[in-house]
Amino acid sequence: MPFRPLNSRMVEATVVPGQRLFSQRGAMLAYKGDVSFTPSITGGQGGVLGMIGRRVANEATPLMTVEGSGTVMFGHGGHHVHVVELAGETLYVEADRLLAFDGSLQQGTMFMGSQGGVMGMVRGQVTGQGLFTTTLKGRGAVAVMAHGGVIELPIRSGRPVHVDPQAYVAHRGDVRSKLSTAIGWREMVGRGSGEAFQLELSGEGTVYVQASEEKL
Amino acid sequence: MAQFRLQGSKVLAVDLTGDAVKAKNGSMVAYEGDMTFKKMSGGGDGLRGMVTRRLTGEQMEVMEVKGHGTCYFADRATEINLVSLRGETLYVEASNLLAADSSLRTGTTFTGLRGASQGNGLFTTTVEGSGQAAIMSDGTAIVLRVTPSTPLQVDPGAYIAHTGKLKQHFQSGVNFRTFIGEGSGEAFQIRFEGEGLVYVQPSERTTFGGDV
Repeated sequence: MPFRPLNSRMVEATVVPGQRLFSQRGAMLAYKGDVSFTPSITGGQGGVLGMIGRRVANEATPLMTVEGSGTVMFGHGGHHVHVVELAGETLYVEADRLLAFDGSLQQGTMFMGSQGGVMGMVRGQVTGQGLFTTTLKGRGAVAVMAHGGVIELPIRSGRPVHVDPQAYVAHRGDVRSKLSTAIGWREMVGRGSGEAFQLELSGEGTVYVQASEEKL
Repeated sequence: MAQFRLQGSKVLAVDLTGDAVKAKNGSMVAYEGDMTFKKMSGGGDGLRGMVTRRLTGEQMEVMEVKGHGTCYFADRATEINLVSLRGETLYVEASNLLAADSSLRTGTTFTGLRGASQGNGLFTTTVEGSGQAAIMSDGTAIVLRVTPSTPLQVDPGAYIAHTGKLKQHFQSGVNFRTFIGEGSGEAFQIRFEGEGLVYVQPSERTTFGGDV
C-alpha cells in the first residue's frame, strides 16, 4: 500500500527501489530520502505509441516518474485527495484528476463511443469527459483529486445509481454508464430543476462522487 | 417523513419513502432508486410567495425532489449543518438554505437595518413547522446559545441563521477612528437578546460593515 493520507488534501507515498510511481508533474510537495523525479515525456506507459494515443485522445497530462527510496508527499491545488485501492479491477477516471498512481498499474485510454456508440460520445461531451477517458487496471493504489470531499457509492446489479455529471469523479468495476435525460416542458421554458442530465451507472462496482458541482 | 443524515460534512443524504423534500435547484449530486425533480416557481410558496420573493430579492431557486430511495445533495463543497425544528421558526438567508422537509413552510420576513449591513438585503427567509432542514456555511459553523442573561454580538458577515425567540438589533462602534480610515474592521455588530440559538460561520461575507 504505497499511499497514506496525511490529511484530506495530502498523501504520502513510500518509494522503494525497483518500484516506480507516476504522479502529475509538479504535484510533489516534499520528500525525504533519495528520490528522483523524471519528467515522463511519453506521459506514462506504452512508449511512443501510448503517447501518441493519449495526445490524440486529449488525455495527455504531464506526468513524472518517481523513483528511488524514501517518502514523497503529494498534493495539488488544495484539492481533496482520495485514495482508491485496486485489486485487479479497472478504474475509469479523467487524466487531469489523477494525482499519482502505482507504476504497476496498466494505463490505457478508452473511447467513450465503445460503450453505447454515439450516445456514449454524447455522454462524454455532456459530462465534460470528452471523447476519451483514462483507464487504470491491475493491482495497486491511485490518488484521485476532487473538489470537496469524495463519497463512495456502491453499485449493485438491479440498483442503478444516478449521478450529476458535474459531480462525477470516477468509477470502477464492471459498470455500464448511460446518460439519462429528464427533459420536460419545464426545461424548454427555462424553468428546469437543474437536474436535466444524469449519469446512470448500472452493474457491479463503485462510483466516486464529489461534494461539489465544480470542475477541477 | 424524509430522513436527513450527513455523509461526511459536505454531503447531505436524504432517505425518501415516497415523500418529498425541497432543495436548492441543481444541488443533487447522486441518487439511488427512483426520483423526480421538479422546479418550484417562486420558492414553492405559491403565487403570493413568488411575488413577495421577487419584490424582496429573496429569490430561491427551489426544486421538489420526490421518490423512493436515497438522494445525495451538495453545493460547491460548503459545509452542511442539520437543524431539527419542532414548531419553531428558523431564520436563514435564502442562499444558505440547502434543503428542507416539504412539510416545513417557507416565507420571507423583514429584517430591518441588519440585512442591509450584512450584504444580503433587507429581507430574510423563514422556515417554520416540524421537520429537518439543512443549512450551508463556509467552513464548519458553530452554534452559540443565547440566554436572557448572556446576549450575543455577531459580526454581520459571519451570521448565517438563528432559531428561537430572539430580538435582534444593530449596534455600531463607529468613532472618529473609523472616519480617518483607522477602523478595526468591527464597526458593526448584530446583538441578539432573548432565548435561542445562533449559527455562525468561520468566514465573513463581504459586507459594507466589514470594510469600515
